[in-house]
Amino acid sequence: MSESGHAESAGAAAGAAAGAAADASSAGDIAISVRGLVHTYPSGVTALQGVDLDVAPGERVAIVGQNGAGKTTLVRHLNGMVRPTEGEVRIGDWSTTEKSIAELAHRVGYVFQNPDEQIFARTVATDVGFGPKNLGFDEERAQRAVSDALEAVGLAHEADVHPHHLSLSERKRIAIAAVLAMQTPIVVLDEPTTGQDDAGVQLIAAIVGSLIAQGRTVVAITHDMDFCIENFDRVVVMAQGEVRADGPAEEVFADVAALEAAAVEPPQLLRVARALGWSGTPRDARAFVDQLAQQRGSGSSA
Amino acid sequence: MTTTTLYLERTSALHRLNPVTKLVALLSIILAVFAVPHWWIPLGIVAVVIVPAAVLGRVGGRLLRLFLILLLPLLVVLFLIQGLFYPDGSTVLWEWGLAQLTTEGLLFAITIGSRLTALVLGSLVFVLTTDPARLMSALTQVGMSPKIAYVISASLQIIPAFQARAQSILLAQQARGLAIVGSPLKRARALLPLLGPLILGMITDVDERSTAMEARAFGATPKPTSLIIVPDPVGERVARWLMFLSAIAVVVLVVVGVIA
Amino acid sequence: MANANAPMIELSGVGFAYEDAERFTLANLDLRIDAGTVTGIVGASGAGKTTLAKTIAGFIPLNEGGTYRGAASVAGRVLAEGTLSEAAAAVGLVTQNPFNQISGARFTVREELAFGLENRSVPRDEMERRVDEVAARLRLEPLLDRSPYALSGGQMQLVAIASMVIMQPPVLVMDEPTSQLDPAGTRLVYDVLSTLSDGGTTVVIIEHKTELLHEHCDSIAVLAGGLIVQHGTPGAVLADDRLTSWGVGETRVTTAARLARERGLLPVERALPIGVDDAVEAFSTQTGAAS
Repeated sequence: MSESGHAESAGAAAGAAAGAAADASSAGDIAISVRGLVHTYPSGVTALQGVDLDVAPGERVAIVGQNGAGKTTLVRHLNGMVRPTEGEVRIGDWSTTEKSIAELAHRVGYVFQNPDEQIFARTVATDVGFGPKNLGFDEERAQRAVSDALEAVGLAHEADVHPHHLSLSERKRIAIAAVLAMQTPIVVLDEPTTGQDDAGVQLIAAIVGSLIAQGRTVVAITHDMDFCIENFDRVVVMAQGEVRADGPAEEVFADVAALEAAAVEPPQLLRVARALGWSGTPRDARAFVDQLAQQRGSGSSA
Repeated sequence: MTTTTLYLERTSALHRLNPVTKLVALLSIILAVFAVPHWWIPLGIVAVVIVPAAVLGRVGGRLLRLFLILLLPLLVVLFLIQGLFYPDGSTVLWEWGLAQLTTEGLLFAITIGSRLTALVLGSLVFVLTTDPARLMSALTQVGMSPKIAYVISASLQIIPAFQARAQSILLAQQARGLAIVGSPLKRARALLPLLGPLILGMITDVDERSTAMEARAFGATPKPTSLIIVPDPVGERVARWLMFLSAIAVVVLVVVGVIA
Repeated sequence: MANANAPMIELSGVGFAYEDAERFTLANLDLRIDAGTVTGIVGASGAGKTTLAKTIAGFIPLNEGGTYRGAASVAGRVLAEGTLSEAAAAVGLVTQNPFNQISGARFTVREELAFGLENRSVPRDEMERRVDEVAARLRLEPLLDRSPYALSGGQMQLVAIASMVIMQPPVLVMDEPTSQLDPAGTRLVYDVLSTLSDGGTTVVIIEHKTELLHEHCDSIAVLAGGLIVQHGTPGAVLADDRLTSWGVGETRVTTAARLARERGLLPVERALPIGVDDAVEAFSTQTGAAS
């Protein structure tokens, strides 16, 4: 493991965010249902051409595909920032067309790709506390939520700093903390690992893990396929406004045609496994080495 | 193209004109209508020059709409206030309480109103038919400093950029549960805290950008080249001088008292 | 170059502390980069990568207050002794935030790309040729008539890169240029960098994606605590045992190979693989040896 400061807190992330779980009121039984979703922008560009997607409570879903494939347009429907041109998006028993963005914020937390679109307050703690305040958390719960979220992203020591004095990768983690603090049953992450160093990526992986451990749903857009296969069970491949593949990560990354259509390159170890002619789909280094051992027929494990 | 200005992309002779020619025409008109103290001159120019130009430039419909939205309310207010409450009016035509409709007041309102109409409609026709990018290139071609051209072009685009940023910040805060409902006062109070950081962000942007522009050699030579070359035929150059000289002549005639 | 043996970029004993900062972001740093090479800079967040990029480009100290010491030169010239405009002619810097590299004063992407060339008084027909060329290379043709403000983050990043590449500076420094790009866009950028370096341009690139650096760099330098702690071939640097302790991620292949070595599945004396090709070689010989 790395010796860097925030990698240590990556370990602590699970614990800190788990503490928040006790407070999360309605976590658990909110499913996402997208039916026949078409979206045409005022410019005339049709970004989504009939998308169906069901996400059960507690699932972790990665959405992959090229820029312009419609990924962000799709997930922006989940909290009502974009409304369907045709079709329907349901969050539990709510239809997004009947609720305001602010109301949907009780169920769906959304982390923007660019943190500077989201951060506005004078101190890190105030910014992270903005969501809980709007959602009507009482003082005590709000304070706990803020400190737990800052702990989870390894920025507890920066609580009183002006966000503009921090680096882009730190601001990105503030943006994530601000949504964690809302303790929503569903968390949407738009390219969470952008600009993160190794420790930052590990930290985000730990956050995803702890959210799932609490039974919350995570939907993430990512271009990092190694991060994708290591942290997400289900992968949705999008191209030209359509879902081209949707299923368990192992199956989707074996769907060569869909990946090619979406210009998605499989994770590194999978490319090696394929080049070696292996049949299995090792999701991480350990699984890869297990398979290597099997291939060699030794089957030994150290 | 960009939605940053009122410019309408059309094919017309007016669109093809060198923007500098149109600008000189506009300035000459403004000079003339403000120099000559007769209300029928500006209205004549509107009828004979500006409206036909708008039709020629295929922007007549848009001009009418903008006239109704922007100018008409202003003219109504002008006539009500100046026509009825002109302080130095002595020839009373009609009276009701404090309000007095006087010939002097009416004349004053017509003079100001007609000048305003010529100024606003003329400027609108110019803006509607002139691609800002082409305008800036044409102006630098005739010798305007690239730095001034930069400032003008940047200001034309800063407002939409600011709006886009404000919108995305607003959206992001709604996504964090900020409810924007209720009375306008309540809404304003909800939005106020977003304003400071928005402006602060823009200021840091300007700072960062000015460095980036130096890295892109801005100001490295006093005579930069231009990707867009706007044709400037001799005929147009002659026309520009003629318009400019006629406008000056009108002003001189007014000053020496030939036109009174 | 006056002296073929002299490095294109040479930093010796360079230190820099930002105004009001408690410590030096760069501390007594030495770095030599040869002409026509592609050099990757890696390091944890906060290691000083962006500061190093600005220092190579002369922005530090020319445009940034603080305490500066040591000597930095590009092509034998000390940039700190000239003006920012002269430094910019020698080194093109693509910064992290593409939004602020857009001039804000051009109405189409086409004009935006030409902006820097106009400022250098490049003749119009050459400008048009260079705009078309860079647009084709980075697949920007469909965007040429769009407003620079009406672009997505990834598109804007490509335009920012193109607007610097088009100026053909002898040295190109890029600070995380592919952060908002999809894999296809990222490949395009790296292809352009390879072509540029084949043509003699010296490229320095800050990047977290180590697999890409392995494929495209001639050398990689690791920055930690304001110092260059390691600088060598991608194979040597990315397989260095201390890499993760510097806060830099290994490729998945290297991690797997380490694990395989621990379990006796890869000979200790064998160099650790980094990319897919050397992994296939390493692991298939192993499979072969076993059977």
